[in-house]
Formats: sequence, C-alpha cells, structure tokens
Amino acid sequence: MTMSRWLIVLIIGVPWLGAVVLRLVDDRRARLQHFLAAAFACITGAVSVALLFSSSGEAALSLPLGEVFGTFTFVPDAFGVSLSAIAAVIGCLAVIFSVDYMQGEAQLGRYYSFILLFIGAMAGLVLSGNLLLLFFFWEITALCSYVLISFYNDDPNAVKGGLQALIVTQLGGVGLLAGALIIQANLGTYQISTFLAEAHTLPAGVLSLAAFGCLFAAAAKSAQAPFHYWLPGAMEAPTPVTALIHAATMVNAGVYLLARFYPAFEAVPGWKTAVVTVGSVTALIAGIMAITAVDLKRVLAYSTVSQLGYMVYAIGVGGVFASQFHLFSHAIFKALLFLAAGTVIHSVGTRDMRQMGGLGRSMPYARAVFIVGSLALTGIPIFNGFWSKELVLESGAAVGPSWAYIIMLLGAGLTAIYTIRMVWMVFYKPAASEEHYHDAAPYMRVSLGVLAAGVVVGWLLVGPLGRMMERTLPYHHLHGLTLPELFAEAFRGAPLTLAIVFAGFVLYLALRRFAALWDRFDWLARFADMDFGFSWISDRFAGAVQGIAEGARVTQTGQLNWNIFGLVLGLIVILAVLIVGAA
Amino acid sequence: MSLSPVTVIWVGVFCLFGIGLYGLLAVRNLIKVIVALQILVKMAMLALVAASYSVDKLALGQSLAVMVMVADTIVAVIGLALAVQVQQRLGTLDIVELSRLRK
Amino acid sequence: MLYVVLILGLVICAIFAVRAKQMLTAVLWLIGTSAVLSVLFYIMGACRLAVIELSVGAGLIAVLFVFAISIASDEPVTLSSLVPRPLAWVFVVLAVGFTAWRVLPTGGSMVPVNGCVESTVLWHERSLDTLIQVFLIFAGVIGMLGLLSGSRKRPPVGLEAEGDEL
Repeated sequence: MTMSRWLIVLIIGVPWLGAVVLRLVDDRRARLQHFLAAAFACITGAVSVALLFSSSGEAALSLPLGEVFGTFTFVPDAFGVSLSAIAAVIGCLAVIFSVDYMQGEAQLGRYYSFILLFIGAMAGLVLSGNLLLLFFFWEITALCSYVLISFYNDDPNAVKGGLQALIVTQLGGVGLLAGALIIQANLGTYQISTFLAEAHTLPAGVLSLAAFGCLFAAAAKSAQAPFHYWLPGAMEAPTPVTALIHAATMVNAGVYLLARFYPAFEAVPGWKTAVVTVGSVTALIAGIMAITAVDLKRVLAYSTVSQLGYMVYAIGVGGVFASQFHLFSHAIFKALLFLAAGTVIHSVGTRDMRQMGGLGRSMPYARAVFIVGSLALTGIPIFNGFWSKELVLESGAAVGPSWAYIIMLLGAGLTAIYTIRMVWMVFYKPAASEEHYHDAAPYMRVSLGVLAAGVVVGWLLVGPLGRMMERTLPYHHLHGLTLPELFAEAFRGAPLTLAIVFAGFVLYLALRRFAALWDRFDWLARFADMDFGFSWISDRFAGAVQGIAEGARVTQTGQLNWNIFGLVLGLIVILAVLIVGAA
Repeated sequence: MSLSPVTVIWVGVFCLFGIGLYGLLAVRNLIKVIVALQILVKMAMLALVAASYSVDKLALGQSLAVMVMVADTIVAVIGLALAVQVQQRLGTLDIVELSRLRK
Repeated sequence: MLYVVLILGLVICAIFAVRAKQMLTAVLWLIGTSAVLSVLFYIMGACRLAVIELSVGAGLIAVLFVFAISIASDEPVTLSSLVPRPLAWVFVVLAVGFTAWRVLPTGGSMVPVNGCVESTVLWHERSLDTLIQVFLIFAGVIGMLGLLSGSRKRPPVGLEAEGDEL
C-alpha cells in the first residue's frame, strides 16, 4: 500500500517539479531544455508503468482537509492506473518526438513546462477519488490545453483556436462543478466511492441533474456534438501537443468521466439513450466532415471526434469495458497517426493535403508507420483497432437500439473512406512538385516505432486489463475478457464490419474515377466545412457575452476614489441588510 | 461622565474609520492616499487592542497589533517607493491623471 | 476622563492630517496621531505596543514619508476630488453609523489593568505569524531597494529621447 502511495506522489510530483525546473532554465540553453524535459517525462513514464502493478480499489493516499473540502483521496484503481499510464507513456513519447520536431523553436521552456504540468494534472485527474479534486485537475488540464494550443501566439488563428477550446471546455467544467456540488449537498461528501455506493438513495430529480450535468461536461471535454467544433480549431497547436492532449489524454477525460460514474447514472431514465444518441450522431457527422477536409490534421481531428463517439456510444449501451479498451487502443494508434502526420508536416512545411503527394518515395519510414496506424483506425484484423472496435460494435449489437448500431456500422464505412483518402493524398498521389523531402529524424523514429509496436501487439493486454478492472472496481460489475473470449467476440461480428470497410475502400476508389459524382456533393462539403453551423452559433454566443462585458466596463473606472466609493457602498448595503434582518 | 473608557475608545475607532474612509474617497494625491491608509491601519490596531481589552486577553491583542504594524510598515515602504518612482517617471502624483495616462 | 482627552486629540490630529494642503504638514499631523496613539496604548496596558508604535509610526514611517516627499516634489494639493464632497461625507457617515450600530451594543465591559502586560504570546502561540512577519520584512526591504535602485540607474525618459535625436 505504501508503495502505491509513493508512486502516486511521484507520478504527479515529478512532472510538476519538471515544469518548475524547465521554467527556470534559460531559453538559450535549448539542448539542456530538451534533455531535462525528456528525462522528467521518461521518469514519469516509468513510474506510471510501475504503478500498473500496484493497483487496488482502496484509496492509497488521503489528505483530510476538514469540513469544507472533505478528504482528498487518490485511488489507484484500474481506470486510474491505465489512463495515467497512457498519459505518462504517450507523454514521454511525445516529448521525445518534440526533441526533433521543435528543433530551433523559441520559448521551449514554456512549451515543455506546460506539457509536463499537463501530464501531472492528467494523472491526478484519473487517480482522484474526490469530486472536487477531480474538478481541480480538470481545470488545470484545460489551462494547459489553452496555453499549448495558442503556443504560437503570434498567429491569430492559434489564439482563436485556443480561446475557443478554453470557452467550450470551461462551459463543460461548469456542468461538472454543478454536478459535484449537487452531490455534496445531498450526500454530504465529495468521495466518488461513497457516491457510487449510495447513488440510488438520491432523489430522482437530483440524480438526473447530476447525470446530465456530467454528460454535458463530458461532451464538451471530449468534443462530442454539439461541442465538437473546438477540436479542429485546436489543430493550430504543435503536433506533439495534439498527439498528447487532443488524441490520447485530455479528450479521453470526458469518456473517463462517463465510465467512472456509469454505475450511478445507468438507472436514470433517458440518460443512456442520451449518451447513445450523442455518441452515434457525433460519430456520423464527424465522419462526414473528415471526408471533405483538406487539412491533414483536421481529418485526424474529426477522426478523433468520431472515435470518441464510438467510445461514448459503447458506454451508452453498457459496454464499459469495451469503451475503455477502445480508449486504450485509440490513444495509441491516434497518437501514432498524429506524430507521423507531424513528421510529414515538419518536412513538407504545410498541412494542406492538396500540396502533398508522392511522399511514399521520400519518406518510407513515415509512410510505413502511418499505414500501420491507418489500418488500426479502420479496424483491419491483427491491429489493436480491430479488436476494440469489434468489441464496441458487439456490445451495441447485443443490447442497444438498432438505429444506433446501423449508424455505427455506417461510421465504420466512413472511417474507411476518409482514411484511405488521407493515405492516398499524402503518400501515393502523383506529386505536386519534384522536391525530395527528408524522412523522420532519429528521435521521431523512436517514438513512432514504439507506438507502432504498441498498435500491433497492444491488444494482447486485454486479459490483464480486464482482470485488473474486475478486481479494483467494485461498483462497476465489469466482465473482462480473456484472449480466447476476445477472439470469439470479435470474429462474431467481424465479417459484417469488414465487408463494410472494404465497401468503403472500393467506394472511394470508384468515386475517384467518377470525379463528377464527387462534385455533386460539393454543397455538403461546404456545409461540413462550417462544422454544420455549430461554430457559427458559438461565435454569436461568445460575441454576445463579450458585448455585455464591454458594456459593463463603464463601471470599472480604475480610479481609486470611485473604487473605494463602490466598496463603501457595498459595505453600507451589507450592513443595512444585516440590521434589517436582525430587527 | 459615566462613559466607560472602552466605549470612548470605540467611538474614537469609528471616528478614525470615518476619517480614513473620507480620505480615501476624497483625496487625489498619492502620498495623501498613503497617509489615509496609515490612519486606517492605526484605527485597526486600536480596535484590536480595545477588543482584547474587554475580554481580558491583552497579550493576544498586543501581538496581533504588532503583526498588523509590521505589515502596515511594509505597505507604507513599498507604497512610498512606488510613489517616488511614479513621480520620477510619469511626472505626476495625481491619481486621476495617472489612470488617464495608462490609456 | 483622560481617555476622552486622548481620543479627542487623536481624532483632531487625524482630521488635520487628511485635510492638510501641504504633504509635509499632513505627515506632521500623522506623527502627532502616532504619538497620541502610543500614549493611549500605554495607558491601556499594552506597553510593548506603545513603544513599537512610537518608534515605528512616529519614527520610521515619518522618516520614510519625509524622504519620499523630498525626492518627489512637494506641490500643494488643490484639486477637488472626483467623488463630490458632500456625497463622500454622507457615505462616510452612513458607513460609520451602521458599523457602530452593529458593534457598539456589544462593545464591552471594562477590565481595569494595572501596569503593563507581558506578551510572551508572540513567540509561543503565534510563532508561525512571527516568522511570516520576518519574511515580510525582508521582502519589503528587497522590494524597496529594487524600486529605488531603478531610479538611480536610468535618467528620466525625456532626457534620453532628446539625446537620441541629437
């Protein structure tokens, strides 16, 4: 027990210490910065792997803080240690990748220190056993995401993307806080374990409020419809940041939230249906938007949103294990895809796929790992995406509403279409120019290689993962699968899915021939580019809020006399109220 | 007079409070603002001692007042240093002018 | 009786401090306030506090003010305030009145004290506070040095710009 306590302290403390240290290192000593960042990240990764072996359902670290905040506990259960391992290990790989990717960039201190801060905060988020502590770490991750998205703060697009991300995820955070406060008001505690045990004692209205508040927060954080538009805007971030935050970790926080609180909310009428709806609708529209996008990272962003829709759908139909397994696989292959895309973008200098093509010849390594990732994304057997996606679909086929299942199958087809489109446009299309681009640099290869290996063999961990979940999550009643069971489940639905995937491939190749048919859908493409209008709504809303704020600015004169005047006025009002109240 | 000393002291505290507040509300020179702040702090110290006086815990009241005194001295030091800098760089100590200069 | 005289003196000194036209005059009245306050403390039994008040308030703070005023210019303040004066008075009276209404009824019994009261409380019970005070003092000194050293190094902005143009 003490071992896991120290590991938890380290897993949050080491990256945060690194964040402070890297702020103090001068920006002129770039090599030292790279080295320190990589060192701290690797140590954190190692600690998180060690933590995998000491998981338990009991709180390992408790800090009693009196009446107001309750006890801050850290619980190294299966969700916590697996997600923190993902965060730390992929974080480590992303930092190693950054050593080459960010070669020669300015302000590396700020960059690395916020990445390390983020890794520690993410680990804290998933290990937290107290709702308020979870909210605290949630907010820190949102802050880091904002800073890192607008890292190139001379670029107005980057700043706009960062602000949009911040606004949407903070809106979600309000939902989370509201839920936490409601729970505390009714149960008297912020402890998640207590809440899960006693959720059925809450009055129905209160529980629904908490459930939908949670769903609201999760949808905002994980970029589900109608909040999906911030993720494509966040692609202005440096690619390692995208791989870490917007593919593997922060966007998973919403799914984690839903999975964590599933036992408490599954009985709320309408909640599961709402979750299924959100997940499937998102998967569908994100898939459509991915087909028409021309920015490489945008395609991957929409793909992430779509896959998150799969995970949310899985939770909605009750397949919590399937969703977590898909989260695990997706983190690995999506990070791989983003990092490989980063390699391409770094050499070619642009994100526009129309200007790429024929890169397969000059960048064989990048092409190879990219194809590995794409095969996993579309769900081709052997790669981890296949196993996890099949599990998700199987859990839906057994239990969920059939219209949702059909949408998810369609989504698999759409995935195939946009993936092969992406691969073709980047690596196989006849080249736009005759330039020879350099392949992945050494450190990039290390990260890409490790991730590719993970994609190929990572699914073998399904057995231990399932056992760990069964052992440490008393309220979830999960049923983990062993390898033979996994084979049976996956191959049951495989023929149908694979047929759809191949149909998708064939459809795309056919459409390329009949380009005229493609142009017929141009109106859809333009509508999709506008994020189906959601972005417009959010801009109007943000504009309205800003207008109100500017109108109210008149009262903030900034002059001492008026400020004191306001203070005294407030004092008089309070005193008058007190006096009248006492009378 | 049958006024107890403590009541007299409390009346004095409130008067000082009023004077200090008036100073903050109606004064335009930065250094006079710091003077008004000092008066308010003296009021606070007096209030502390008077309160402890009436519950017979003078030792506690005294120590707290010493703390307040130290903090207030630091505030005065920094405030005056700032005032000096402001006067030298911006040429004026009028707080209304200063907030206009920012724009 | 003595208390009444002292409080009256205190209030008068404070009023003149705020209403003074010259800054130096204001500081002098502030010193007066400090002195009266220190006597008041001594009578109430807080001897140490009285001594500290006298030396710091009437000594250190006064010297600081005079130093600052001598560096900054000593123009008389004649501008009228933004907040109209009558309004300020009304608000002050209201605020003070309401506060007094809440506090005075509970104000208090009197416990007669003879001589001084020992205060070992400072070190034993409130050691953390005292350490923080030490830290504050250091911070204040460093801050002041930082602020004032800046004025010695660089000449005023106007002169520098002219030099460049020539």
